[in-house]
Amino acid sequence: MNRTLRMMKLLLALAVALLITVEPALAAGAAVRTGSRSTVNRSGNVNANVNRNANVNRNTNVNRDLNVNRDIDIDVDVDHDHHGYGYGYHHPVGAAIVTAAVIGAILYEPPPTYTVVIVDGVTYYQSGSTWYQPQFNGTTTTYVVVASPR
Amino acid sequence: MKTLSRMKKVFALAMTLVLAGTLSASAAATPAVNSAAIDPAAIGALQKMGTYLRTLSAFQIEAAVQKELVLENGLKVQLEEAVSLVTRRPDRLMLKVSSERKEREFFYDGRQFTLWAPRVNSYATVVAPPTIRELIIKLEEKFGIEMPLVDLFKWGTEESNIKDITVAMELGTAKIGGADCNQYGFRQEGLDWQIWIQNGNYPLPRKLVLTTTTDEARPQHQAVLTWNLAPVFIDKDFTFEPPANAQRIVFAQPAK
Repeated sequence: MNRTLRMMKLLLALAVALLITVEPALAAGAAVRTGSRSTVNRSGNVNANVNRNANVNRNTNVNRDLNVNRDIDIDVDVDHDHHGYGYGYHHPVGAAIVTAAVIGAILYEPPPTYTVVIVDGVTYYQSGSTWYQPQFNGTTTTYVVVASPR
Repeated sequence: MKTLSRMKKVFALAMTLVLAGTLSASAAATPAVNSAAIDPAAIGALQKMGTYLRTLSAFQIEAAVQKELVLENGLKVQLEEAVSLVTRRPDRLMLKVSSERKEREFFYDGRQFTLWAPRVNSYATVVAPPTIRELIIKLEEKFGIEMPLVDLFKWGTEESNIKDITVAMELGTAKIGGADCNQYGFRQEGLDWQIWIQNGNYPLPRKLVLTTTTDEARPQHQAVLTWNLAPVFIDKDFTFEPPANAQRIVFAQPAK
């Protein structure tokens, strides 16, 4: 009885250990830590962190390096168009939606389903009760959850 | 008696060693800018190039660019892109950056600036200042946009940071795109860079290599430039005409 109990405890411990060490598969492509700087004459006033802090579903690596061309993820700064161009070897379809209702959250792809709504000449994507505003963050296209514009 | 004098000797030796140690340590701890590391000929060439660039009223460039990203696991990824630029100073600029993954076009007509992403069919337009120089500042400070080849508009102006250079060297000659060039190497904080400047009456930058030194993987950015000093264009080229179904979007702005 004692032995069985010990075996069970051991197995339990092993199972727990495995659970802890097995990492969830990364939903995104490999995260980028640095991009090559492209400008020699930089004033130091380049605003590299426009909206970076409200980043959902990506490795929030707040890198103080003033490199605006550092993409957060190598398949983030890719045109996700309708023709299937662009490198994007992984599209986290649907993965973003669950936590996307927080205003200020940023997606790097449009939500899987949406309606285009134009308000005051500006484009919004409406998905259920969630409103997204497509924005250029630097030159990267992003979709930011905003309050309803109407 | 003998012991005392021996002790004195040992003491003196020890003190000398400590002193020597301290001196050399302090010399290493404060790496003063070594003016011998700055070759005035290299700085002079940079200034001559900058002055010449400022005299150009219009130019067109085709650039073949390679850039690198360093992933979290340290792997370096190389990407290529093509840049086309047409400008008429002081207030017309059209720039196109294209790669397999991403296309962007920049339009500036002295009044408005537009960024156009053709494959995602989206564009954003803002009111722009009256000169390219002021536009560059606005793009960087307000929208976090660093234009490709923006250095061509900064060398020879107050926005050039020659004063930050700590190492400047002549590195010999080379032919780039068939043109005889002099190669120079420079160092500044966070960046080592090399430039190949054409010999003769047109001291144009023909090739640039920027090595980022803030990451141990030292990713590089390279651009090889082809120049046309008599570009042909019409004013319409600098104004963006959105296609009928294009989506107008906005630029993200930093939280105040």
